[in-house]
Amino acid sequence: MFKRIVALCIVAVAAHGLAAAAPLNVAATTATFADLVKTIGGDYVEVSYIAPPKFNVHFIEPRPSDVMKVKKADAFAHAGLDLELWSAPLRDAAGNRRVMKGGAGDLDLSRGVALLEVPDRAVSRAEGDIHLFGNPHYWQNPANARIMAATIAQKLSELDAAHAADFAKKFATFQAKLDAKIAEWQAKLAPYKGQEVIGYHNEWPYLMQFLGLTMGQFLEPKPGIPPGPKQLGALTDYAKSDKVRGIVTSVYYSDKATKTLSKNTGLGFVTLSQNVGDVPAATDYFAMFDYNTEQLAGLFAGGK
Amino acid sequence: MRIFCALLIFSLIGAASTAFAADDAVSQQVKSLSDQINQLTNMMKDLKSVVENQSERIESLEKENATLKAQPPAPAAPPVAESPAPVAVPISAPTSSAAGRGGYTPDIGVVVDITGSMSESKDDEEGNDRISVRELELVIGHDIDPYARFDSTITLSDFEDVDIEEAYVTYWETPGGFQLRAGRMRPKIGKQSAVHRDQIETVDAPLVIQRYLGVEGLFRTGLEVSRLMPQFAKPLTQELTLGIMEGGIGEDGTLFGETRRHPSFYAHLKNFFDLADTTSLEVGGTYLLGSSDEDTYDVQALGADLTLGHFFTPVRKLKWQSEVYAQFRGDSATNDTPIGFYSLLDFRATKRWGFGARYDWVQLVNADEDTGDDFEQAYSVYATFFQSEFARIRLQYQLADLGDRGTDNRFFLQSTFVVGADKHKLQ
Repeated sequence: MFKRIVALCIVAVAAHGLAAAAPLNVAATTATFADLVKTIGGDYVEVSYIAPPKFNVHFIEPRPSDVMKVKKADAFAHAGLDLELWSAPLRDAAGNRRVMKGGAGDLDLSRGVALLEVPDRAVSRAEGDIHLFGNPHYWQNPANARIMAATIAQKLSELDAAHAADFAKKFATFQAKLDAKIAEWQAKLAPYKGQEVIGYHNEWPYLMQFLGLTMGQFLEPKPGIPPGPKQLGALTDYAKSDKVRGIVTSVYYSDKATKTLSKNTGLGFVTLSQNVGDVPAATDYFAMFDYNTEQLAGLFAGGK
Repeated sequence: MRIFCALLIFSLIGAASTAFAADDAVSQQVKSLSDQINQLTNMMKDLKSVVENQSERIESLEKENATLKAQPPAPAAPPVAESPAPVAVPISAPTSSAAGRGGYTPDIGVVVDITGSMSESKDDEEGNDRISVRELELVIGHDIDPYARFDSTITLSDFEDVDIEEAYVTYWETPGGFQLRAGRMRPKIGKQSAVHRDQIETVDAPLVIQRYLGVEGLFRTGLEVSRLMPQFAKPLTQELTLGIMEGGIGEDGTLFGETRRHPSFYAHLKNFFDLADTTSLEVGGTYLLGSSDEDTYDVQALGADLTLGHFFTPVRKLKWQSEVYAQFRGDSATNDTPIGFYSLLDFRATKRWGFGARYDWVQLVNADEDTGDDFEQAYSVYATFFQSEFARIRLQYQLADLGDRGTDNRFFLQSTFVVGADKHKLQ
């Protein structure tokens, strides 16, 4: 009898040990967030993401397999705000209370980030698909990645206190590398500080802020409204003022209007990486900025 | 006398000298006072300057305090030796403030469906030969507490009474990992009946849905549990749904009778295959059991659905969807085993334009007594202009063979738009 009890205790302890060793299961809305979580969590997390990188994260149609990812998740990493409007029905469908808004596994990466373009008045959809809480593409400023990574480290430590020191170590390593890369990226674009580019959609204000560039005109006449001949004409006239040095777009927008504007104005254009994995070179968060700064430097160096 | 004069002179001199001496003292005192006043004036100026500076500082701190109070709490310091460096923005710069904003206000949205219809049919169906506000859906929902959510859809139109299409509570985690819904709702059966009108690709529901389940599909009051099944193969995700609902059927549906006394039962198994990042296949099976108003459960139905989706680009996508329903009736219907199906091909060509076609074929439960016609079929083609994410305009042509009612050429022009929140369930 005594031997049986001892054996059961051993089994129970072993089972507990195995359970404790199981990595945290984190579902992220985007490949960028998944990459940051993996960077901080290392082997102690298993990460999946919902939005295919080449797709516009605003317009994702989650699948049943995505519902399953969220249902099984210990944490759900998302941009907060109103970037992923599909994430609320997705979480409802999963029915996982851990990752519901305000739950222990709710990993809102916008926490503490200084947002740009926060409306200071009541907004209307007559202005297009504008964001109620400010521009949500904040990961495009690497300085914000410090805050996001800190939020991730904090959340992972709450969920897996046994490995808090490991998360802290990885956060410190990430931060050190980020500091070095920030200096490198800014130095690369320093000669072009203050120069202006036209965007397809208003999704680059944080990158512009980081690099000291300007983007005030867009191919979309209003957010979410595809460009038409009138807007192309207006931009063609604007580009004649010689203020603008190029055009910036993303992989998920048709390049038809971009090419037309480029042809009409003689401006070059680049397709930047909005999320990890949307272009082959953007293999991780750092590679994404390596690619984007390289592309922009090339655009400015090429001139009109 | 001389002495008196001398004394007077001395007195005067003395008085004068005394007066002169007093003048000196006064002037010194005045000078001293003046200096003091000057010093006080300067001091006052300094103090005023200090007070002004302090007032400005207090005002600045008050603003700063108000800004900080308006912000959500920043994440606590991470469990690391070095806290993140501050972002180079002014202290008053707006920061993430989504948390708490409108926290207790329900999600409220309005979905409007304005449809113009031209038809050869003499029937006064849902707005034939006129423009109608076919449906105005008032969608209201919100989390009740950490365990449940409420959703409702109230429908109005310019030719029907107000109706509660949906009003149900969802309990997210019940024993066994099931999700439970209770109230009036669209049962999770098949594909087209389970979603709202504004979510389907065509102006009208397929004939098999209209004739068997109801013009707008099936929505009844009941109880439903659903659960994602454990994955035994990676690309396959399965969801099982079981439900019980009040008797009866949707508007003009013929699958079950009208009485609500005999509850109906249903089950659905969804099998979803992730074939690739851009390609998916869904195969579903449905079972329904109910009554034709007899005292026995004399009607059963089996359904199968198949949906193949593929994205050529993030915008350009193709969907092929088909559903079939077969009934097994034990009542006095003229057809014991009516069957019906549709097949839909939908192509989103650009962000603004989509095109598609649908074929419907359905056997009627009761054949026409005079002509013996027992089936209907229809060919539909449509084009959709997506004005924005929130509005679209659709033109649809349909050639319908309606059995004893003859052939009908129909044109539909539909405008659908959403105002406010529209938190539809995932399909």
